[in-house]
Amino acid sequence: MNARGAAFLFAILAAPPALAQRTETPRQPAISAGLAEETVEIKVNYSGARIVLFATAPANENASSGMAVALIGPSGPAEVVRRTPAGEKRFKFVTAPSVFAVGAEPQVVESVLPDVMIESGLNAAASAMPLADELQSPDLEAWRAAFVELKMDQGLYSFDDTTIERLEGGLRRARIVLPPNAPPGDYRIRAVAFRNGQRVGETEKTLTLVRGGMDATLFDLSRRHGFIYGFLAVLLGVLVGAIAAWVGRR
Amino acid sequence: MLIHLPIAQIAVDPLIIVAIGTVVGFLSGLFGVGGGFLLTPLLIFYGVPAAVAVSTQANQVLATSIAGASSHWRERAVDVRLGTLMLMGGLVGSTVGVGIFSLLKYFGVVDETISVLYIVFLGVIGGLMAWESVGALGRSGGDPGRRTRMRAWMRGLPIKRRFPRSGLYISIIPPLGIGVFVGILAAVLGVGGGFILAPAMVYLLGVPTRVMVGTSLFQIIFLTAYVTFLQATFNGTVDLVLAFVLMIGGVIGARAGAAAARKLKAAQLRLLLALVVLAMAGRLVYDLYVAPKPDYRLEIAG
Repeated sequence: MNARGAAFLFAILAAPPALAQRTETPRQPAISAGLAEETVEIKVNYSGARIVLFATAPANENASSGMAVALIGPSGPAEVVRRTPAGEKRFKFVTAPSVFAVGAEPQVVESVLPDVMIESGLNAAASAMPLADELQSPDLEAWRAAFVELKMDQGLYSFDDTTIERLEGGLRRARIVLPPNAPPGDYRIRAVAFRNGQRVGETEKTLTLVRGGMDATLFDLSRRHGFIYGFLAVLLGVLVGAIAAWVGRR
Repeated sequence: MLIHLPIAQIAVDPLIIVAIGTVVGFLSGLFGVGGGFLLTPLLIFYGVPAAVAVSTQANQVLATSIAGASSHWRERAVDVRLGTLMLMGGLVGSTVGVGIFSLLKYFGVVDETISVLYIVFLGVIGGLMAWESVGALGRSGGDPGRRTRMRAWMRGLPIKRRFPRSGLYISIIPPLGIGVFVGILAAVLGVGGGFILAPAMVYLLGVPTRVMVGTSLFQIIFLTAYVTFLQATFNGTVDLVLAFVLMIGGVIGARAGAAAARKLKAAQLRLLLALVVLAMAGRLVYDLYVAPKPDYRLEIAG
């Protein structure tokens, strides 16, 4: 990773303990944007997807103008466990995104401070929300960093897979990688425009990841009709074994 | 190309899964074991969640056992009476085992318990088999003696029956007890139980190695069918896509293994099986106690 990449990683990971990512950020002028596809189906051949977002930056761009984009997965509770010589310590996050992918243009990386990234909803660490009485904990930053690291190990958080291309007329095309192990649900895609290190426009689109085809059929069957699913599982084993035995005899 | 597994919720390379199935199927055909003791850890190493690996391999072992047992059946090397007796014990044991598995899953200690139990059983059984088969190779290279000190205590047990195919006249209590024990392990460890059943039949009951292979597979068919049904129905952890891809490799490997087995002496087969079992135990010991562990881990909070 080069110096610019390291600076960006710091900007999106470093979250002062008291600074939780705001869910209600001050409204900025909306920028127009659109997703190439709003629904992605998980089928048996699904091995991740590349989400394409087109967004237009506000007028009056200068050398510092740029855009950052984040894909934020469905949130849920999570717990980080730390092994210590004295035993295990646990830290609970009430809610944290299951998936977080973020990327920004180079000029944004150079000019936008970490606090502004947090206020813009683009900071992965700050999006993990602890219990209210843990917000001032001196260890919060370390727990959040560990959480992000673990999510990166699972391939669910990424900071260098998102690319943003500048097209004509202030139009940007962002490509965001949706990992193969991403859970189904509604995903938010945030695009934020910056100028002189400040937010000047933002937009949010929703992408739905749904199970489809045989993947959905088998999953639903296993959850709703366990008895039939169990019978099918045995039948599959018997059929394949019997066919193999028959082929072996010939 | 990757395929998405609906229950495991991960994408895997089908060629790697077929290769795993083929290797395990080969060993299954060679030794007359289901191969679950090898398949479950291999799937976990590849990234399949432990609960799904344990349940799904039972489904794969079902297919390879049917394919393997059919050829032994034609050679009249299956003791149905003995197999049925052990199966009855196995069904009781696996019902208890699925309950234990659900409890372990509830308390979140499935992975640790499976690893420790694997190490204990693989180490003890592999060590004993290696010791015996090395000694046997120095002699005739055939089956262990029919009247050993290990089996002396069994001769005093009541309810004796004849098992003509194995040439035995023994109490039904030891086969039933072995069945119950193997059934519990089948459900908790996700194994067909062959790696315990096979040595137990040879060393404890005195079944000839040739009949042991077919009878073990015969018993494993019904046991894995039962475990598959219970795990799929009540825990929802059997991944049919993963199972199907594994079965393709498994049945191919099983036939190749059965062909290779005909060229080896009984003691050579037992020694090879012992080495495979010990290698698996060594790998698990390394992972559990030697390999550096991360300071942090992530759990889904309830």
